Amino acid sequence: MSLKNSVSAEATASIDGAPASLDEAAMAAARLLARSRQPLIAGLGADVGGARAAIALAERIGGVIEHMHSAALLRDLDCLRETGIMLTTPGEARVRANVVLLVGDGLTEAWPALNERLLRPPARPDGVDVARRIVWLAPAIDARIRGFEGNIEIWGAGRGATLAVNLAALRARVKNRRIASRQSARSELPLSALDALAATLKGARFGVAVWTAASLGALEIEMLHGLVRDLNETTRFSTLPLAEPDNSAGVLAAYGWTTGFPVRTGFGAGFPIHDPWRFDAERLVASGETDCVLWISAFEASPPAWRSAVNFIALCERRTQFAETPNVRITVGRPGVDHDAVMHSSDVGTLVAATASARSGAPSVAQALERIGACLEDASARPC
Amino acid sequence: MLIRIKGAHIVDPANRRDEIGDLWIRDDTIVAAPQDGAQADETVDASGLIAMAGGIDIHSHIAGANVNTARLMLPEQHRAHARRPAETPLSKVGWTTFETGRLYAEMGFTTVVEPAVAPHNALHAHLELADTPIIDKAILAILGNDDFVLSLLRSGETSAIRDHIAWTLQSTRALGIKVVNAGGVAAFKDNIRSFSFDDVVPYYGVTSRAIVKALQRAVHEAGVPHPLHVHCNNLGLPGNFETALTTIASAEDLPLHLAHLQFYGYGKEGPQGFSSAAPQLAEAVNAAKNVTVDVGQLMFGQTVTISSDVLRQFSARGQARPKKYAIADGDSNGFGIVPYEYRAGSFHNAVQFAVGLELFLLINDPWRVFFTTDHPNGAPFTTYPEIFALLMDKDVRAEWASRLPADALAVTTLPSLTREYTLSEIATMTRAAPAKLLGLPNRGHLGAGARADVALYRPAKDIAQMFRAAARVYKDGELVVDEGEVTRTRYGRALHVTPVVEASMQRRMTEYYDERYGLPSDFMRVPQGAIGRPQPFEVVACRS
Repeated sequence: MSLKNSVSAEATASIDGAPASLDEAAMAAARLLARSRQPLIAGLGADVGGARAAIALAERIGGVIEHMHSAALLRDLDCLRETGIMLTTPGEARVRANVVLLVGDGLTEAWPALNERLLRPPARPDGVDVARRIVWLAPAIDARIRGFEGNIEIWGAGRGATLAVNLAALRARVKNRRIASRQSARSELPLSALDALAATLKGARFGVAVWTAASLGALEIEMLHGLVRDLNETTRFSTLPLAEPDNSAGVLAAYGWTTGFPVRTGFGAGFPIHDPWRFDAERLVASGETDCVLWISAFEASPPAWRSAVNFIALCERRTQFAETPNVRITVGRPGVDHDAVMHSSDVGTLVAATASARSGAPSVAQALERIGACLEDASARPC
Repeated sequence: MLIRIKGAHIVDPANRRDEIGDLWIRDDTIVAAPQDGAQADETVDASGLIAMAGGIDIHSHIAGANVNTARLMLPEQHRAHARRPAETPLSKVGWTTFETGRLYAEMGFTTVVEPAVAPHNALHAHLELADTPIIDKAILAILGNDDFVLSLLRSGETSAIRDHIAWTLQSTRALGIKVVNAGGVAAFKDNIRSFSFDDVVPYYGVTSRAIVKALQRAVHEAGVPHPLHVHCNNLGLPGNFETALTTIASAEDLPLHLAHLQFYGYGKEGPQGFSSAAPQLAEAVNAAKNVTVDVGQLMFGQTVTISSDVLRQFSARGQARPKKYAIADGDSNGFGIVPYEYRAGSFHNAVQFAVGLELFLLINDPWRVFFTTDHPNGAPFTTYPEIFALLMDKDVRAEWASRLPADALAVTTLPSLTREYTLSEIATMTRAAPAKLLGLPNRGHLGAGARADVALYRPAKDIAQMFRAAARVYKDGELVVDEGEVTRTRYGRALHVTPVVEASMQRRMTEYYDERYGLPSDFMRVPQGAIGRPQPFEVVACRS
C-alpha cells in the first residue's frame, strides 16, 4: 500500500511552526538529516514497524539510535549480558506462582494490569488451586496496589536507599550465611524479618520476583538475579522484569535481530557499533556531538527530558508540546489505535499484532520515515 | 525470461541424474529443454561446474525470541563478527537476520527451517524470518509440554490432539510440530531435575512416551507431511543412547524424526565413563525404515547453545563459557541459552565430534540421515563446508583426527571408518531427502516443474572451499549469488501448512485462553499485514 493512498488529508505537519503538507515536512526533514554530520534518532516510541524503519534510516544516514527508556532497559539487559538469569512469562507467573515477590515502586505504572493478571488468587494450569503469597519488598511507605484487596506482606517499606542492603542480607540468609549486625535505619530489616522472608522464598514451590528497572538500581537488579539463582539450587523461582513503556521491549527485539545489538547503537562507521555511554542521547546533545535530532514518540505526548539547541525533527503524538518549536513536526498515529501495529504486550510477554481501535488516516511512524527516506536522495536539490 | 545453464555436471538424485547436461529455467521454474527450438534469453556456460538444487536445511535455529535473546546476551560475539577477518572463530557466527540469509545463500542453501518456536512467539519468529533475505524459511511449532496438550492426555482425549495440532499450525503458520524433552520441561517447573522416557509428569500423570506417541499419531492423522520432530529426553548425558534407542523402538511403524542424534550418541564406557555409542544408534536407525534423523554435528570453536529444553539447559548452566546464561520457564517450553566453547583438546568434545561423523558414516541411507549442526548448538551453520569435506574425504578426517586426544578417539570407531560420501549422496542428504521429509515436491530437485532454486559449485581440491562460496546461486530463477558473493537481495517466503480446523476446537481454545490466561485466543495470530513485506507466506499442501 503506498503512502499517498493510505494517509488521509487529515495528516498534520508543520515547518518552524507554520502548517505544511506531509510532503513538504518530509522534504524539510530530509534536508536537515542530509546536512547533518551526526544525526540522532531518539525517543523511538514506535511500533515494531516504526522501529524497523528507523533502523533502516539510521543505517542509511549513519545515525545513532536511542530509546527514551534506554537507561532502565540497559539496567535489565546488563544482567543478561553479564550474569546468569532466570526468566518467566506473565502467563506462567499468573497460573503457576505460589509466591510473588514484588520489589520496589512503579509496578502498576509499568504494568497497569498487574493486579488483575497476577495478584488475584490463581488456579494452577493443572487445576490445583494454590494459596498465593504476595510479598512486597521496599515499596514506598503506605504504598498500595490499586484495586487490590487481598493480603500483601510488606517488608522494608521506606525510601529505596536501603534496598540493596536488604537484598544482600536476604540473599546471604537464603544461603544460611552469617551477616553483620543490622544498622538502625528504619527500613533496614532485622535478622528475624530477613529469616522469615528467606523461609518464605525458600519454601516457594514456584516463586516469581517482579520489578521494573525504572525504579531499581543496577546493583539491586543484579542482586535480585543472584538471589533467584541461589533459590533455584533447591526450589523453583524465576523473575518477571516488567517491560518499560513505549514498546521499548519491541524496539529492543527489532534492534536485536536487525543489528545484533540493543539501542544506543550507531552506524557512523558503516557498520553497527554499540556503546551505551557514547550513544546516550542526552550526552550526545549536551556535548554537541549531534547536530540534528529526530525525535519519535507515537504512543504518548512525550517530549525529550533534555533541552536541545540543535535541529529538531519530531514525529509525535498529536498533543505533544515541546519547549522549543521543532524545525519540523509531523503528527503520527498511535500504534494500535490509529493503525494496525505489532507491539510488545506486557500481558503476553511477547510481540502481538494489534488491530486499530479507532482507525484514522494519520501516518504511522514507518510511513512518515519512509516518506522522509524517499526525499533523502533529492534532499539537497529540489522539493520532493 | 528463459535461461539455459549449459554443460554443467548435474547432480540430481531425485531424478537419478548424475551427468553432464543442460538446465533450462523459465522465470521461476525449471523446465524441460524446449522442443520447438526456442532460444534462451541468456545462456550461462557452466562447463566444469556442478549443479545441484538449492540446499534445504531442516533444523537450524535462525530466528525468534530464543535466538534474539542470545544475540542480545552476547554483544562481544557480534563485535568480533563485524570486525575480524574470516579466519577467527567468532566470525563464523551469522548473527543478524540479514547475515543469516546472506551466508546461507552464498553456500547455495535456499530453504531453512527454524525448528523451535513456542506458539505464543510465532509472530516474533515470522517477523525475523521476514527480515532474513533471499532464502525461503519455515517454523516448527513446539507442543507437548504445554498445559493444553498435557490436560488432553490426562483426560484421555487423544483424538482432540489432532484438532489441536491443526489449530496450532493454522494460528502460528508453521510447517510442522516439534516436541522438546516431552514432559521433562513441564516437570522442571515442578522442580524435577531429571526426566526419562517413562517418567511421569507430576499431576498430569502422563509419561514422555505417551506424549511422543500421541503427538506422533496426531501429526500423521492430521496429514501434515513432516512427521513429528522429536528432541528426546536426556540430551548430552552419558549413556543416553539408550533413551534414543527406546524412542526409536516406540515409533513402531509410523514416521518419526529424531533431531540432532549426535547429542544422544553417548555410552558410559572407557576410562572417563563417556564413549561413543554411535554404532548401536546407527544400527537401530538402519533397521527402522520409518525413522529419520539429523545429526547435529559438533565443530570446535566458540558458539552458544540455544534450546527449548529448559531442563537440560538449566543443568548445563555451570558449563557456560563465557560465564552467563538465561533460563526461561515459558508458557509451554521456554528456552535456555548457554554460551559454550567446544575445544579440540577436550576429551568429551572430541568424543562428541567423532560421534557425529560416525553417525553420518554408519547410517547407510542418505535419504534418512540429514545434514545439520543444530545451528548454533553443535556449531554455527557456516561450518557446513568443512563438514562436507570431512564426509567426502577420509584423508581430511585423518588430518582432523590427528589433532584430537588419542584416548578420546579410542572410545569411538571413527579411525576405522573409510566411507567417503559421493556428490550424489551429499545432494540427496541436503536437497532431495529434505524436500521429501518436509513435503515440498517442487524443491530439492532439478526436474521440470521444480522451483528454480539452483546452486552451481566450482569443483576444487579443497572441498570446503567449493561449498563455502557457490559459483552461482539462483533463487526462483533470479541470480542472487555470483562467485560466492550476494549480488542481489530479495526476500523469500515462509512455508506453512493449513490443515482444516474444526470449529469446535476454535471455540474450545477461545474458552481456554479466556479462562486460564484472560487473553483472547487470537493473540498468537500471524496476520499477513503485520509482516511488512509483500506475499510473505506460501502454503504447503497436506496429505489428503
